[in-house]
Amino acid sequence: MTPSPLALLIAAVLSSLSIACDAGETVPHLTVGTQEIGLSAGYLISSRLTDQHSTKQSGPAIMPSWAMVLTDPIGWRWLRGHLMLGAEIVYIQFQEPELTHGVGFTPKIKWMFEGTGTLRPYIEFAGGPFYTDLGGRIPEESARFNFILTAGGGLSWFFTPQLSFNVGYRFHHISNAGTRYPNLGLNASLPFGGFSFYF
Amino acid sequence: MNASRTLRGLTLACCGLMLIATSGCSHWIEMMTLPAESDTRGAQLIARDEQVPLILDRIHTTKNGSPQNPSAETEQRILSSLADIGLFSHLTSINTSAPVYGEKTVRARLLFDEAIDPHAGGAAWKGIIIGASMYLLTPLLPFEYDYAAHLSLELERWDGQIKRYESQSAGTVRYHLFGATTIMVDELKGHVTESCLTELAKQIANDTVFFSASSAPHSESGIRSVSVKPRTMRPPASASTAIPISAPALAEP
Repeated sequence: MTPSPLALLIAAVLSSLSIACDAGETVPHLTVGTQEIGLSAGYLISSRLTDQHSTKQSGPAIMPSWAMVLTDPIGWRWLRGHLMLGAEIVYIQFQEPELTHGVGFTPKIKWMFEGTGTLRPYIEFAGGPFYTDLGGRIPEESARFNFILTAGGGLSWFFTPQLSFNVGYRFHHISNAGTRYPNLGLNASLPFGGFSFYF
Repeated sequence: MNASRTLRGLTLACCGLMLIATSGCSHWIEMMTLPAESDTRGAQLIARDEQVPLILDRIHTTKNGSPQNPSAETEQRILSSLADIGLFSHLTSINTSAPVYGEKTVRARLLFDEAIDPHAGGAAWKGIIIGASMYLLTPLLPFEYDYAAHLSLELERWDGQIKRYESQSAGTVRYHLFGATTIMVDELKGHVTESCLTELAKQIANDTVFFSASSAPHSESGIRSVSVKPRTMRPPASASTAIPISAPALAEP
């Protein structure tokens, strides 16, 4: 019996975490100019918010990203954290209702709380153009050129000062800003996980 | 016609990207006080045997008014800066070597006050505007980071006389979003600190005579050394006569 790719991935993550924890000090030193390169993946799950929404779009999503720390730690108590500015590319493979694709580019702004040092929660907001060939094939969206808005949060676990494992949740909204009708828009939830490298 | 319009559009787009790439990737440092030329000519007049050691007694560091732990790096930098004057025979920290009792030494106490203003609020707003503009406004909205340092050095001569020296400097690093690096703030701090230390060194070098070993005798007010020798016991005069001691003769067998 061969192990599944998911099992191999989990094993690799756990072994890297145990090695990193043995290494000792893992609190990252984030300062103005620190850059973050990340790769996240998740699965898009449809959220039909009104009775007019009928499409149950779903599929995997991949999000390579870049961000930079803009401020030293600011704020009081548990709100204390860094402001980060960045951008990411969103690729979604819609497996339902038809096998279609979507790709977008979104500048994003992120607030990373100081947390415990190694465990850092964050919230983020992103928005930008999004092209998908799903548009025109569903009643909610008539255009292929759309915009995507994303808001969510997550938790970063720094298992070395430069490497973190992230899990989070995002809410996605895709619509064409009224450039064509109908424009009900597509809404979705996206739980995701990934890694970030800081330098 | 369409081809020429497309070409023109592509050229404009390329120029725009080039403009953002070149002007959005820069950072530069502006110093409020220029580093002064160190005038250590006076210090060179001091003879080698006139030089005394300097002991760095204490460094008190504050950042925006709150006390900090001084770093070994800062201590080392201050010591090497003072060593460059050539006024002292050697420089040590009180943590690394204890002063030799009775030796003429100069004790140094330093207050290192740092003031940092990262303009966090402005950076946040600029970041939001730049992000909303899809980074097109990057060249037009530079970020700022201010750093100022105030050094106050107290040198106490072996006889208890104290001289105080002060210097201050400030600088700003301005950078565009894509020109930001983690070392640019360190560069700024390095320039400002160097400026302060150079100014301090210049002031100390003007007091060369004050720190030469022959400028003052050793302090009389301190603990005096007392030599203790074992007293030699003089025998009484009556005991000066020799007393013959004879060992009893061994009996013949």
